Amino acid sequence: MLTLHQTGLTTTPAIAPLDGTLRPGELLAIVGPNGAGKSTLLSLLSGFRPAEQGELHLDGKPLREWPIAELANRRALVAQQELPGFDWQTIELVSLGSNPAKSLVAELLDDLDLTHLAKRSVLSLSGGERQRVMIARGACQLLSRCSPTARDGGLLLLDEPTSALDIGQQQRLMRQLRAWAAQHRIAIVCVLHDLNLANTYADQVWLLHQGKRIDHGLPHQVLNPTAIAQVYAVELQHIEGTPHGKPLLALSP
Amino acid sequence: MIAILNVYRFRLRLPISRTTRVLSGLTAALLVALGWSAASGALGVSPWELISGEADSLNVQVWWQLRLPRLLLGVAVGAMLAGSGTAMQGLFRNPLADPTLLGLASGAGLFVALWIVLFQDSGAGSLYGQFAAGFLGALCVCLIVFGVAKRQGSGSAAVMTLLLAGLAINTLAGAGGGVLAFIASDEQLRQLSLWGMGTLTNALWRTTALAIVLITVALWRLMRSARELDLLQLGEATAHAAGLDASRLKRRVVVATSLGVGLCVALTGVIGFLGLLVPHCLRLWLGPSHRLLLPASMLGGALLLVVADTLARTVAVPAEIPVGLLTSLLGGPYFLYLLMRRNRTC
Repeated sequence: MLTLHQTGLTTTPAIAPLDGTLRPGELLAIVGPNGAGKSTLLSLLSGFRPAEQGELHLDGKPLREWPIAELANRRALVAQQELPGFDWQTIELVSLGSNPAKSLVAELLDDLDLTHLAKRSVLSLSGGERQRVMIARGACQLLSRCSPTARDGGLLLLDEPTSALDIGQQQRLMRQLRAWAAQHRIAIVCVLHDLNLANTYADQVWLLHQGKRIDHGLPHQVLNPTAIAQVYAVELQHIEGTPHGKPLLALSP
Repeated sequence: MIAILNVYRFRLRLPISRTTRVLSGLTAALLVALGWSAASGALGVSPWELISGEADSLNVQVWWQLRLPRLLLGVAVGAMLAGSGTAMQGLFRNPLADPTLLGLASGAGLFVALWIVLFQDSGAGSLYGQFAAGFLGALCVCLIVFGVAKRQGSGSAAVMTLLLAGLAINTLAGAGGGVLAFIASDEQLRQLSLWGMGTLTNALWRTTALAIVLITVALWRLMRSARELDLLQLGEATAHAAGLDASRLKRRVVVATSLGVGLCVALTGVIGFLGLLVPHCLRLWLGPSHRLLLPASMLGGALLLVVADTLARTVAVPAEIPVGLLTSLLGGPYFLYLLMRRNRTC
Protein backbone atom coordinates (compact mmCIF):
# COMPACT_ATOMS: atom_id res chain seq x y z
CA MET A 1 0.00 0.00 0.00
CA LEU A 2 1.26 3.45 -0.95
CA THR A 3 0.47 6.35 1.37
CA LEU A 4 1.24 10.05 0.99
CA HIS A 5 1.20 12.58 3.84
CA GLN A 6 1.70 16.12 2.63
CA THR A 7 4.19 14.74 0.10
CA GLY A 8 5.64 17.29 -2.27
CA LEU A 9 8.58 18.60 -4.26
CA THR A 10 9.87 22.13 -3.68
CA THR A 11 12.46 22.41 -6.46
CA THR A 12 11.35 22.93 -10.04
CA PRO A 13 9.38 21.17 -11.40
CA ALA A 14 7.55 21.33 -8.07
CA ILE A 15 4.57 19.40 -6.76
CA ALA A 16 2.40 21.00 -4.06
CA PRO A 17 1.98 18.82 -0.94
CA LEU A 18 -0.73 16.19 -1.25
CA ASP A 19 -2.25 13.32 0.72
CA GLY A 20 -3.46 10.04 -0.64
CA THR A 21 -3.69 6.29 -0.33
CA LEU A 22 -3.40 3.63 -2.99
CA ARG A 23 -4.65 0.19 -1.98
CA PRO A 24 -3.87 -3.22 -3.49
CA GLY A 25 -5.97 -3.88 -6.59
CA GLU A 26 -6.72 -0.22 -7.19
CA LEU A 27 -6.21 1.68 -10.43
CA LEU A 28 -5.39 5.36 -10.08
CA ALA A 29 -5.54 7.68 -13.07
CA ILE A 30 -3.54 10.91 -13.00
CA VAL A 31 -4.96 13.44 -15.46
CA GLY A 32 -4.23 17.06 -16.25
CA PRO A 33 -3.10 19.33 -19.08
CA ASN A 34 0.40 19.35 -20.61
CA GLY A 35 2.98 20.54 -18.10
CA ALA A 36 0.68 19.98 -15.11
CA GLY A 37 3.34 17.86 -13.39
CA LYS A 38 1.94 14.39 -14.11
CA SER A 39 5.27 12.80 -15.04
CA THR A 40 6.98 14.62 -12.17
CA LEU A 41 4.43 13.21 -9.76
CA LEU A 42 5.05 9.76 -11.21
CA SER A 43 8.81 10.07 -10.66
CA LEU A 44 8.04 11.18 -7.10
CA LEU A 45 5.88 8.08 -6.56
CA SER A 46 8.59 5.85 -8.03
CA GLY A 47 11.29 7.33 -5.79
CA PHE A 48 13.40 8.57 -8.71
CA ARG A 49 12.91 12.04 -7.27
CA PRO A 50 12.93 11.69 -3.47
CA ALA A 51 10.18 13.57 -1.62
CA GLU A 52 11.36 16.99 -0.46
CA GLN A 53 8.34 17.59 1.79
CA GLY A 54 6.14 15.33 3.85
CA GLU A 55 6.15 11.56 3.92
CA LEU A 56 5.84 8.88 1.26
CA HIS A 57 5.42 5.31 2.51
CA LEU A 58 5.31 2.00 0.68
CA ASP A 59 4.09 -0.89 2.84
CA GLY A 60 4.44 1.36 5.87
CA LYS A 61 8.14 2.11 5.30
CA PRO A 62 9.42 5.47 3.98
CA LEU A 63 10.33 5.11 0.32
CA ARG A 64 13.80 6.61 0.79
CA GLU A 65 14.67 3.92 3.32
CA TRP A 66 14.04 1.13 0.82
CA PRO A 67 17.23 -0.32 -0.68
CA ILE A 68 17.11 0.37 -4.40
CA ALA A 69 17.26 -3.33 -5.35
CA GLU A 70 14.53 -4.34 -2.91
CA LEU A 71 12.28 -1.54 -4.07
CA ALA A 72 12.56 -2.93 -7.60
CA ASN A 73 10.75 -6.04 -6.37
CA ARG A 74 7.80 -3.95 -5.26
CA ARG A 75 7.35 -1.33 -7.94
CA ALA A 76 8.06 -0.94 -11.63
CA LEU A 77 7.96 2.09 -13.88
CA VAL A 78 7.23 2.41 -17.58
CA ALA A 79 8.36 5.88 -18.61
CA GLN A 80 7.31 7.73 -21.75
CA GLN A 81 8.70 7.10 -25.23
CA GLU A 82 11.95 5.41 -24.44
CA LEU A 83 13.65 3.98 -27.48
CA PRO A 84 16.24 1.38 -26.50
CA GLY A 85 19.62 2.25 -28.01
CA PHE A 86 20.29 -1.22 -29.38
CA ASP A 87 18.50 -3.88 -31.32
CA TRP A 88 16.87 -6.07 -28.67
CA GLN A 89 14.44 -8.82 -29.46
CA THR A 90 10.98 -8.32 -28.00
CA ILE A 91 11.35 -11.32 -25.72
CA GLU A 92 14.80 -10.21 -24.49
CA LEU A 93 13.54 -6.74 -23.69
CA VAL A 94 10.50 -8.02 -21.80
CA SER A 95 12.81 -10.13 -19.62
CA LEU A 96 15.26 -7.27 -19.02
CA GLY A 97 15.64 -6.33 -15.37
CA SER A 98 14.28 -9.58 -14.02
CA ASN A 99 14.80 -13.29 -14.33
CA PRO A 100 11.33 -14.38 -15.37
CA ALA A 101 9.95 -17.86 -15.87
CA LYS A 102 9.29 -18.60 -19.54
CA SER A 103 5.63 -19.21 -18.79
CA LEU A 104 5.24 -15.75 -17.25
CA VAL A 105 6.83 -14.07 -20.29
CA ALA A 106 4.58 -16.06 -22.61
CA GLU A 107 1.53 -15.12 -20.56
CA LEU A 108 2.40 -11.41 -20.57
CA LEU A 109 3.12 -11.41 -24.31
CA ASP A 110 -0.26 -13.02 -24.84
CA ASP A 111 -1.98 -10.54 -22.50
CA LEU A 112 -0.71 -7.62 -24.59
CA ASP A 113 -1.16 -9.24 -28.00
CA LEU A 114 2.59 -9.49 -28.62
CA THR A 115 3.09 -13.23 -29.05
CA HIS A 116 3.52 -12.99 -32.83
CA LEU A 117 6.24 -10.33 -32.32
CA ALA A 118 8.27 -12.27 -29.73
CA LYS A 119 11.32 -12.80 -31.94
CA ARG A 120 11.16 -9.47 -33.76
CA SER A 121 13.73 -6.74 -33.23
CA VAL A 122 12.26 -3.97 -31.11
CA LEU A 123 13.58 -1.23 -33.39
CA SER A 124 11.54 -2.70 -36.27
CA LEU A 125 8.25 -2.48 -34.36
CA SER A 126 5.71 0.32 -34.66
CA GLY A 127 5.39 2.89 -31.88
CA GLY A 128 2.30 1.26 -30.42
CA GLU A 129 3.80 -2.22 -30.51
CA ARG A 130 6.93 -0.95 -28.82
CA GLN A 131 4.86 0.76 -26.17
CA ARG A 132 3.12 -2.52 -25.36
CA VAL A 133 6.53 -4.24 -25.17
CA MET A 134 7.70 -1.71 -22.58
CA ILE A 135 4.49 -2.16 -20.56
CA ALA A 136 4.94 -5.93 -20.66
CA ARG A 137 8.50 -5.43 -19.39
CA GLY A 138 7.31 -3.35 -16.44
CA ALA A 139 4.69 -5.94 -15.52
CA CYS A 140 7.24 -8.71 -15.95
CA GLN A 141 9.65 -7.01 -13.54
CA LEU A 142 6.96 -6.67 -10.90
CA LEU A 143 5.42 -10.12 -11.29
CA SER A 144 8.59 -12.17 -11.76
CA ARG A 145 10.39 -10.85 -8.70
CA CYS A 146 7.71 -11.95 -6.26
CA SER A 147 6.07 -15.30 -5.69
CA PRO A 148 2.39 -15.27 -6.68
CA THR A 149 1.36 -14.93 -3.03
CA ALA A 150 3.66 -11.97 -2.29
CA ARG A 151 2.57 -9.69 -5.13
CA ASP A 152 -0.15 -8.07 -3.04
CA GLY A 153 0.30 -4.31 -3.02
CA GLY A 154 3.04 -4.15 -5.64
CA LEU A 155 3.07 -0.90 -7.57
CA LEU A 156 3.03 -0.50 -11.36
CA LEU A 157 3.58 3.06 -12.59
CA LEU A 158 2.74 3.85 -16.21
CA ASP A 159 3.40 7.18 -17.89
CA GLU A 160 0.87 7.68 -20.71
CA PRO A 161 0.63 3.97 -21.55
CA THR A 162 -1.98 4.58 -24.25
CA SER A 163 -0.30 7.47 -26.07
CA ALA A 164 0.70 5.44 -29.16
CA LEU A 165 -2.06 2.83 -29.12
CA ASP A 166 -5.02 2.60 -31.51
CA ILE A 167 -8.47 2.83 -29.95
CA GLY A 168 -8.93 -0.93 -29.87
CA GLN A 169 -5.57 -1.53 -28.18
CA GLN A 170 -6.29 1.29 -25.73
CA GLN A 171 -9.42 -0.49 -24.49
CA ARG A 172 -7.65 -3.82 -24.51
CA LEU A 173 -4.75 -2.45 -22.44
CA MET A 174 -7.00 -0.79 -19.87
CA ARG A 175 -9.04 -3.99 -19.50
CA GLN A 176 -5.79 -5.89 -19.05
CA LEU A 177 -4.55 -3.46 -16.40
CA ARG A 178 -7.82 -3.98 -14.50
CA ALA A 179 -7.36 -7.73 -14.83
CA TRP A 180 -3.77 -7.60 -13.52
CA ALA A 181 -4.84 -5.39 -10.62
CA ALA A 182 -7.60 -7.81 -9.68
CA GLN A 183 -5.68 -11.02 -10.29
CA HIS A 184 -2.36 -10.11 -8.62
CA ARG A 185 -3.69 -7.50 -6.17
CA ILE A 186 -1.19 -4.95 -7.47
CA ALA A 187 -1.89 -1.22 -7.49
CA ILE A 188 -1.58 0.56 -10.82
CA VAL A 189 -1.00 4.24 -11.48
CA CYS A 190 -1.61 5.53 -15.02
CA VAL A 191 -1.00 8.97 -16.41
CA LEU A 192 -3.81 9.39 -18.95
CA HIS A 193 -4.93 12.05 -21.40
CA ASP A 194 -8.16 10.37 -22.44
CA LEU A 195 -10.70 11.35 -19.80
CA ASN A 196 -13.09 8.64 -20.98
CA LEU A 197 -10.50 5.94 -20.30
CA ALA A 198 -9.94 7.42 -16.84
CA ASN A 199 -13.67 7.63 -16.25
CA THR A 200 -14.35 4.08 -17.41
CA TYR A 201 -11.47 2.15 -15.85
CA ALA A 202 -10.07 4.05 -12.85
CA ASP A 203 -11.05 3.59 -9.21
CA GLN A 204 -9.83 7.06 -8.33
CA VAL A 205 -8.69 10.05 -10.34
CA TRP A 206 -6.26 12.80 -9.41
CA LEU A 207 -6.67 15.97 -11.42
CA LEU A 208 -3.46 18.01 -11.67
CA HIS A 209 -3.00 21.60 -12.76
CA GLN A 210 0.19 23.67 -12.55
CA GLY A 211 1.85 21.31 -10.08
CA LYS A 212 -1.16 21.25 -7.75
CA ARG A 213 -3.72 18.55 -7.29
CA ILE A 214 -7.02 20.36 -7.90
CA ASP A 215 -9.29 17.47 -7.03
CA HIS A 216 -9.27 13.77 -6.32
CA GLY A 217 -11.83 11.04 -5.77
CA LEU A 218 -14.20 8.94 -7.82
CA PRO A 219 -13.86 9.49 -11.58
CA HIS A 220 -17.34 10.85 -12.29
CA GLN A 221 -17.03 13.30 -9.39
CA VAL A 222 -13.59 14.62 -10.33
CA LEU A 223 -14.21 14.77 -14.06
CA ASN A 224 -17.09 17.24 -13.79
CA PRO A 225 -17.76 20.04 -16.28
CA THR A 226 -16.75 22.83 -13.88
CA ALA A 227 -13.34 21.39 -13.02
CA ILE A 228 -12.60 20.43 -16.62
CA ALA A 229 -13.51 23.91 -17.84
CA GLN A 230 -11.22 25.43 -15.23
CA VAL A 231 -8.23 23.20 -15.99
CA TYR A 232 -8.45 22.56 -19.72
CA ALA A 233 -10.53 25.56 -20.81
CA VAL A 234 -12.92 23.30 -22.76
CA GLU A 235 -16.61 22.58 -22.38
CA LEU A 236 -17.52 19.08 -21.23
CA GLN A 237 -20.83 17.24 -21.17
CA HIS A 238 -21.79 14.02 -19.42
CA ILE A 239 -23.89 11.85 -21.72
CA GLU A 240 -25.76 9.19 -19.78
CA GLY A 241 -27.23 5.94 -21.00
CA THR A 242 -24.10 4.06 -22.13
CA PRO A 243 -24.23 0.24 -21.95
CA HIS A 244 -21.57 0.03 -19.21
CA GLY A 245 -23.50 2.50 -17.03
CA LYS A 246 -20.78 5.15 -16.85
CA PRO A 247 -21.39 8.50 -18.51
CA LEU A 248 -19.62 9.34 -21.76
CA LEU A 249 -17.58 12.51 -21.50
CA ALA A 250 -18.14 14.52 -24.65
CA LEU A 251 -16.31 17.71 -25.54
CA SER A 252 -18.14 20.53 -27.27
CA PRO A 253 -16.25 21.78 -30.30
CA MET B 1 41.29 -16.02 -18.31
CA ILE B 2 39.27 -19.22 -18.60
CA ALA B 3 38.80 -19.22 -14.83
CA ILE B 4 37.46 -15.67 -14.90
CA LEU B 5 35.07 -16.59 -17.67
CA ASN B 6 33.86 -19.61 -15.76
CA VAL B 7 33.11 -17.61 -12.63
CA TYR B 8 31.44 -15.05 -14.80
CA ARG B 9 29.24 -17.60 -16.52
CA PHE B 10 28.23 -19.04 -13.17
CA ARG B 11 27.14 -15.64 -11.95
CA LEU B 12 24.99 -14.96 -14.97
CA ARG B 13 22.80 -18.01 -15.36
CA LEU B 14 22.76 -17.44 -19.12
CA PRO B 15 21.71 -20.21 -21.45
CA ILE B 16 25.02 -22.05 -21.14
CA SER B 17 25.21 -23.48 -24.62
CA ARG B 18 25.44 -20.27 -26.62
CA THR B 19 27.65 -18.38 -24.19
CA THR B 20 29.99 -21.33 -23.93
CA ARG B 21 30.08 -21.80 -27.67
CA VAL B 22 30.82 -18.16 -28.43
CA LEU B 23 33.34 -17.53 -25.66
CA SER B 24 35.23 -20.78 -26.07
CA GLY B 25 35.29 -20.29 -29.84
CA LEU B 26 36.79 -16.82 -29.41
CA THR B 27 39.24 -18.11 -26.80
CA ALA B 28 40.36 -20.88 -29.15
CA ALA B 29 40.81 -18.38 -31.99
CA LEU B 30 42.85 -16.15 -29.68
CA LEU B 31 45.09 -19.06 -28.66
CA VAL B 32 45.68 -20.00 -32.30
CA ALA B 33 46.52 -16.39 -33.12
CA LEU B 34 48.92 -16.24 -30.16
CA GLY B 35 50.65 -19.42 -31.33
CA TRP B 36 51.04 -18.04 -34.82
CA SER B 37 52.22 -14.69 -33.52
CA ALA B 38 54.72 -16.30 -31.13
CA ALA B 39 56.31 -18.24 -33.96
CA SER B 40 56.55 -15.48 -36.52
CA GLY B 41 58.66 -12.37 -36.69
CA ALA B 42 62.05 -11.14 -37.73
CA LEU B 43 63.57 -13.90 -35.63
CA GLY B 44 61.95 -17.23 -36.37
CA VAL B 45 61.53 -19.05 -33.09
CA SER B 46 59.15 -21.97 -32.77
CA PRO B 47 57.75 -22.99 -29.38
CA TRP B 48 59.42 -26.41 -29.81
CA GLU B 49 62.83 -24.76 -29.98
CA LEU B 50 62.10 -22.91 -26.76
CA ILE B 51 61.05 -26.01 -24.90
CA SER B 52 63.82 -28.26 -26.13
CA GLY B 53 66.41 -25.55 -25.64
CA GLU B 54 67.96 -26.18 -29.05
CA ALA B 55 67.81 -22.59 -30.17
CA ASP B 56 70.84 -20.41 -29.62
CA SER B 57 70.60 -18.27 -26.53
CA LEU B 58 70.15 -14.93 -28.31
CA ASN B 59 67.00 -16.08 -30.09
CA VAL B 60 65.56 -17.52 -26.93
CA GLN B 61 66.37 -14.36 -25.03
CA VAL B 62 64.76 -12.17 -27.64
CA TRP B 63 61.66 -14.34 -27.48
CA TRP B 64 61.40 -14.23 -23.70
CA GLN B 65 62.40 -10.61 -23.22
CA LEU B 66 60.74 -8.96 -26.21
CA ARG B 67 58.20 -11.11 -27.97
CA LEU B 68 56.38 -12.71 -25.04
CA PRO B 69 55.70 -9.45 -23.16
CA ARG B 70 54.63 -7.93 -26.45
CA LEU B 71 52.11 -10.72 -27.03
CA LEU B 72 50.70 -10.37 -23.54
CA LEU B 73 50.55 -6.60 -23.83
CA GLY B 74 48.69 -7.00 -27.12
CA VAL B 75 46.12 -9.24 -25.43
CA ALA B 76 45.68 -6.84 -22.49
CA VAL B 77 45.50 -3.65 -24.57
CA GLY B 78 43.17 -5.19 -27.17
CA ALA B 79 40.84 -6.53 -24.50
CA MET B 80 40.89 -3.22 -22.64
CA LEU B 81 40.22 -1.01 -25.65
CA ALA B 82 37.40 -3.17 -26.99
CA GLY B 83 35.93 -3.82 -23.54
CA SER B 84 35.92 -0.16 -22.58
CA GLY B 85 34.40 0.73 -25.95
CA THR B 86 31.57 -1.72 -25.29
CA ALA B 87 31.03 -0.36 -21.80
CA MET B 88 31.05 3.27 -22.97
CA GLN B 89 28.55 2.46 -25.72
CA GLY B 90 26.33 0.86 -23.11
CA LEU B 91 26.73 3.81 -20.77
CA PHE B 92 25.80 6.35 -23.43
CA ARG B 93 23.27 4.05 -25.08
CA ASN B 94 24.91 4.93 -28.35
CA PRO B 95 26.68 2.39 -30.59
CA LEU B 96 29.12 5.03 -31.80
CA ALA B 97 30.54 6.02 -28.39
CA ASP B 98 33.99 5.03 -27.15
CA PRO B 99 36.65 6.19 -24.66
CA THR B 100 38.07 8.72 -27.07
CA LEU B 101 34.64 10.35 -26.97
CA LEU B 102 34.96 11.20 -23.29
CA GLY B 103 38.38 12.68 -23.95
CA LEU B 104 40.07 10.02 -21.85
CA ALA B 105 42.44 8.87 -24.57
CA SER B 106 43.38 12.36 -25.70
CA GLY B 107 43.74 13.56 -22.10
CA ALA B 108 46.07 10.69 -21.36
CA GLY B 109 47.86 11.39 -24.64
CA LEU B 110 48.38 15.06 -23.77
CA PHE B 111 49.91 14.20 -20.41
CA VAL B 112 52.24 11.65 -21.97
CA ALA B 113 53.30 14.20 -24.59
CA LEU B 114 53.89 16.75 -21.81
CA TRP B 115 56.08 14.21 -20.07
CA ILE B 116 58.07 13.45 -23.21
CA VAL B 117 58.66 17.12 -24.11
CA LEU B 118 59.11 18.76 -20.71
CA PHE B 119 60.40 16.25 -18.20
CA GLN B 120 61.85 13.25 -19.89
CA ASP B 121 65.55 12.60 -19.60
CA SER B 122 66.80 9.57 -21.44
CA GLY B 123 67.20 7.61 -18.18
CA ALA B 124 65.79 4.24 -17.37
CA GLY B 125 62.73 5.63 -15.59
CA SER B 126 61.29 7.18 -18.73
CA LEU B 127 58.77 4.41 -19.42
CA TYR B 128 57.45 4.53 -15.87
CA GLY B 129 57.10 8.28 -16.24
CA GLN B 130 55.12 7.92 -19.43
CA PHE B 131 53.04 5.31 -17.72
CA ALA B 132 52.26 7.51 -14.74
CA ALA B 133 51.56 10.49 -16.98
CA GLY B 134 48.95 8.59 -19.00
CA PHE B 135 47.38 7.31 -15.83
CA LEU B 136 47.28 10.82 -14.40
CA GLY B 137 45.94 12.35 -17.60
CA ALA B 138 43.01 9.96 -17.83
CA LEU B 139 42.30 10.43 -14.14
CA CYS B 140 42.31 14.25 -14.49
CA VAL B 141 39.93 14.09 -17.45
CA CYS B 142 37.76 11.74 -15.44
CA LEU B 143 37.59 14.19 -12.52
CA ILE B 144 36.94 17.18 -14.77
CA VAL B 145 34.19 15.38 -16.68
CA PHE B 146 32.55 14.30 -13.45
CA GLY B 147 32.88 17.75 -11.92
CA VAL B 148 31.03 19.17 -14.90
CA ALA B 149 28.43 16.39 -14.86
CA LYS B 150 27.80 16.70 -11.13
CA ARG B 151 26.50 20.24 -11.49
CA GLN B 152 23.85 18.89 -13.84
CA GLY B 153 22.47 16.41 -11.33
CA SER B 154 21.58 12.87 -12.30
CA GLY B 155 18.92 13.58 -14.91
CA SER B 156 18.99 12.63 -18.56
CA ALA B 157 20.84 15.87 -19.30
CA ALA B 158 23.84 14.46 -17.45
CA VAL B 159 24.76 12.02 -20.21
CA MET B 160 24.65 14.78 -22.82
CA THR B 161 26.77 16.97 -20.55
CA LEU B 162 29.33 14.19 -20.25
CA LEU B 163 29.53 13.98 -24.04
CA LEU B 164 29.95 17.72 -24.45
CA ALA B 165 32.58 17.89 -21.72
CA GLY B 166 34.46 15.13 -23.56
CA LEU B 167 34.25 17.13 -26.78
CA ALA B 168 35.70 20.22 -25.07
CA ILE B 169 38.52 18.17 -23.56
CA ASN B 170 39.34 16.58 -26.91
CA THR B 171 39.62 20.02 -28.49
CA LEU B 172 41.75 21.29 -25.63
CA ALA B 173 44.05 18.27 -25.72
CA GLY B 174 44.43 18.63 -29.49
CA ALA B 175 45.48 22.27 -29.10
CA GLY B 176 47.83 21.38 -26.24
CA GLY B 177 49.41 18.64 -28.37
CA GLY B 178 49.94 21.19 -31.15
CA VAL B 179 51.73 23.58 -28.82
CA LEU B 180 53.93 20.76 -27.52
CA ALA B 181 54.83 19.66 -31.04
CA PHE B 182 55.77 23.26 -31.78
CA ILE B 183 58.22 23.59 -28.89
CA ALA B 184 59.58 20.03 -29.03
CA SER B 185 63.10 19.26 -30.24
CA ASP B 186 63.56 17.16 -33.37
CA GLU B 187 64.35 14.04 -31.38
CA GLN B 188 61.28 14.51 -29.15
CA LEU B 189 59.12 15.22 -32.16
CA ARG B 190 60.13 11.93 -33.74
CA GLN B 191 59.41 10.09 -30.50
CA LEU B 192 56.06 11.85 -30.19
CA SER B 193 54.96 11.01 -33.69
CA LEU B 194 56.07 7.35 -33.46
CA TRP B 195 54.30 6.90 -30.14
CA GLY B 196 51.27 8.81 -31.40
CA MET B 197 50.76 6.36 -34.25
CA GLY B 198 50.27 3.53 -31.79
CA THR B 199 52.70 0.67 -31.39
CA LEU B 200 53.37 -2.24 -29.07
CA THR B 201 57.16 -2.00 -29.33
CA ASN B 202 57.43 -0.52 -25.83
CA ALA B 203 56.58 -3.87 -24.30
CA LEU B 204 59.19 -4.65 -21.67
CA TRP B 205 58.60 -6.95 -18.75
CA ARG B 206 58.90 -4.38 -16.00
CA THR B 207 56.17 -2.14 -17.40
CA THR B 208 54.11 -4.82 -19.07
CA ALA B 209 53.65 -6.94 -15.97
CA LEU B 210 52.31 -4.05 -13.93
CA ALA B 211 50.12 -2.88 -16.81
CA ILE B 212 48.61 -6.33 -17.23
CA VAL B 213 47.75 -6.58 -13.54
CA LEU B 214 46.07 -3.16 -13.52
CA ILE B 215 44.27 -3.76 -16.81
CA THR B 216 42.96 -7.09 -15.51
CA VAL B 217 41.51 -5.28 -12.52
CA ALA B 218 39.85 -2.73 -14.80
CA LEU B 219 38.46 -5.50 -17.05
CA TRP B 220 37.08 -7.31 -14.04
CA ARG B 221 35.30 -4.16 -12.87
CA LEU B 222 33.74 -3.78 -16.32
CA MET B 223 32.62 -7.41 -16.42
CA ARG B 224 30.86 -6.94 -13.09
CA SER B 225 28.85 -4.11 -14.66
CA ALA B 226 27.36 -6.14 -17.51
CA ARG B 227 23.92 -6.76 -16.01
CA GLU B 228 23.62 -3.17 -14.86
CA LEU B 229 24.61 -1.87 -18.31
CA ASP B 230 21.74 -3.95 -19.72
CA LEU B 231 19.34 -2.34 -17.26
CA LEU B 232 20.56 1.13 -18.15
CA GLN B 233 19.31 0.56 -21.70
CA LEU B 234 15.79 1.12 -20.35
CA GLY B 235 16.54 4.79 -19.67
CA GLU B 236 17.63 6.17 -16.32
CA ALA B 237 14.24 6.56 -14.63
CA THR B 238 12.98 3.12 -15.66
CA ALA B 239 16.33 1.51 -14.87
CA HIS B 240 16.26 3.13 -11.42
CA ALA B 241 12.83 1.60 -10.85
CA ALA B 242 14.25 -1.74 -11.99
CA GLY B 243 16.87 -1.58 -9.26
CA LEU B 244 19.82 0.19 -10.89
CA ASP B 245 21.97 2.71 -9.03
CA ALA B 246 22.96 4.61 -12.16
CA SER B 247 25.46 6.97 -10.56
CA ARG B 248 27.34 4.09 -8.99
CA LEU B 249 27.42 2.30 -12.32
CA LYS B 250 28.67 5.41 -14.13
CA ARG B 251 31.35 5.97 -11.54
CA ARG B 252 32.54 2.38 -11.76
CA VAL B 253 32.59 2.20 -15.55
CA VAL B 254 34.23 5.60 -16.04
CA VAL B 255 36.92 4.98 -13.42
CA ALA B 256 37.73 1.49 -14.72
CA THR B 257 37.79 2.75 -18.29
CA SER B 258 39.91 5.80 -17.59
CA LEU B 259 42.50 3.82 -15.66
CA GLY B 260 42.67 1.08 -18.25
CA VAL B 261 42.67 3.37 -21.25
CA GLY B 262 45.15 5.76 -19.61
CA LEU B 263 47.52 2.86 -19.20
CA CYS B 264 47.01 1.64 -22.75
CA VAL B 265 47.65 5.08 -24.22
CA ALA B 266 50.76 5.59 -22.11
CA LEU B 267 52.25 2.29 -23.21
CA THR B 268 51.15 2.06 -26.80
CA GLY B 269 49.92 5.44 -28.00
CA VAL B 270 46.54 5.72 -29.63
CA ILE B 271 45.42 2.49 -31.28
CA GLY B 272 42.27 3.52 -33.09
CA PHE B 273 39.01 1.81 -33.99
CA LEU B 274 39.30 -1.23 -31.73
CA GLY B 275 36.88 0.24 -29.18
CA LEU B 276 34.42 1.12 -31.90
CA LEU B 277 34.81 -1.69 -34.40
CA VAL B 278 34.96 -4.83 -32.25
CA PRO B 279 31.78 -4.27 -30.19
CA HIS B 280 29.97 -3.03 -33.27
CA CYS B 281 30.71 -6.16 -35.30
CA LEU B 282 30.07 -8.50 -32.38
CA ARG B 283 26.76 -6.83 -31.58
CA LEU B 284 25.53 -7.59 -35.10
CA TRP B 285 26.34 -11.25 -34.43
CA LEU B 286 25.51 -11.71 -30.73
CA GLY B 287 22.84 -9.11 -30.02
CA PRO B 288 23.05 -6.23 -27.56
CA SER B 289 23.09 -7.94 -24.16
CA HIS B 290 26.28 -6.93 -22.35
CA ARG B 291 26.38 -10.16 -20.40
CA LEU B 292 27.66 -11.90 -23.51
CA LEU B 293 28.84 -8.91 -25.54
CA LEU B 294 31.26 -7.58 -22.94
CA PRO B 295 33.41 -10.71 -22.49
CA ALA B 296 33.13 -11.50 -26.20
CA SER B 297 34.38 -7.98 -27.07
CA MET B 298 37.34 -8.36 -24.75
CA LEU B 299 38.33 -11.63 -26.41
CA GLY B 300 37.63 -10.22 -29.86
CA GLY B 301 39.66 -7.07 -29.19
CA ALA B 302 42.60 -9.15 -27.96
CA LEU B 303 42.34 -11.39 -31.03
CA LEU B 304 42.21 -8.49 -33.45
CA LEU B 305 45.13 -6.64 -31.88
CA VAL B 306 47.33 -9.74 -31.72
CA VAL B 307 46.67 -10.47 -35.40
CA ALA B 308 47.17 -6.84 -36.41
CA ASP B 309 50.38 -6.54 -34.43
CA THR B 310 51.77 -9.75 -35.94
CA LEU B 311 51.02 -8.41 -39.41
CA ALA B 312 52.53 -5.05 -38.46
CA ARG B 313 55.84 -6.60 -37.48
CA THR B 314 56.04 -9.20 -40.28
CA VAL B 315 54.74 -7.70 -43.54
CA ALA B 316 57.69 -5.33 -43.99
CA VAL B 317 60.53 -7.17 -42.18
CA PRO B 318 62.88 -5.84 -40.88
CA ALA B 319 60.89 -2.60 -40.71
CA GLU B 320 57.80 -2.37 -38.56
CA ILE B 321 54.51 -0.61 -39.28
CA PRO B 322 52.95 1.09 -36.24
CA VAL B 323 49.99 -1.17 -35.43
CA GLY B 324 47.77 1.84 -34.74
CA LEU B 325 48.16 2.87 -38.39
CA LEU B 326 47.25 -0.65 -39.47
CA THR B 327 44.11 -0.88 -37.33
CA SER B 328 42.99 2.53 -38.52
CA LEU B 329 43.67 1.65 -42.16
CA LEU B 330 41.74 -1.63 -41.85
CA GLY B 331 39.09 -0.43 -39.43
CA GLY B 332 38.23 2.96 -40.85
CA PRO B 333 36.90 1.86 -44.25
CA TYR B 334 35.12 -1.18 -42.79
CA PHE B 335 33.43 1.00 -40.25
CA LEU B 336 32.30 3.43 -42.94
CA TYR B 337 30.92 0.48 -44.88
CA LEU B 338 28.99 -0.68 -41.81
CA LEU B 339 27.60 2.81 -41.31
CA MET B 340 26.37 2.99 -44.88
CA ARG B 341 24.78 -0.45 -44.67
CA ARG B 342 23.15 0.51 -41.40
CA ASN B 343 21.64 3.64 -42.88
CA ARG B 344 20.27 1.72 -45.82
CA THR B 345 18.40 -0.79 -43.68
CA CYS B 346 17.00 1.80 -41.27
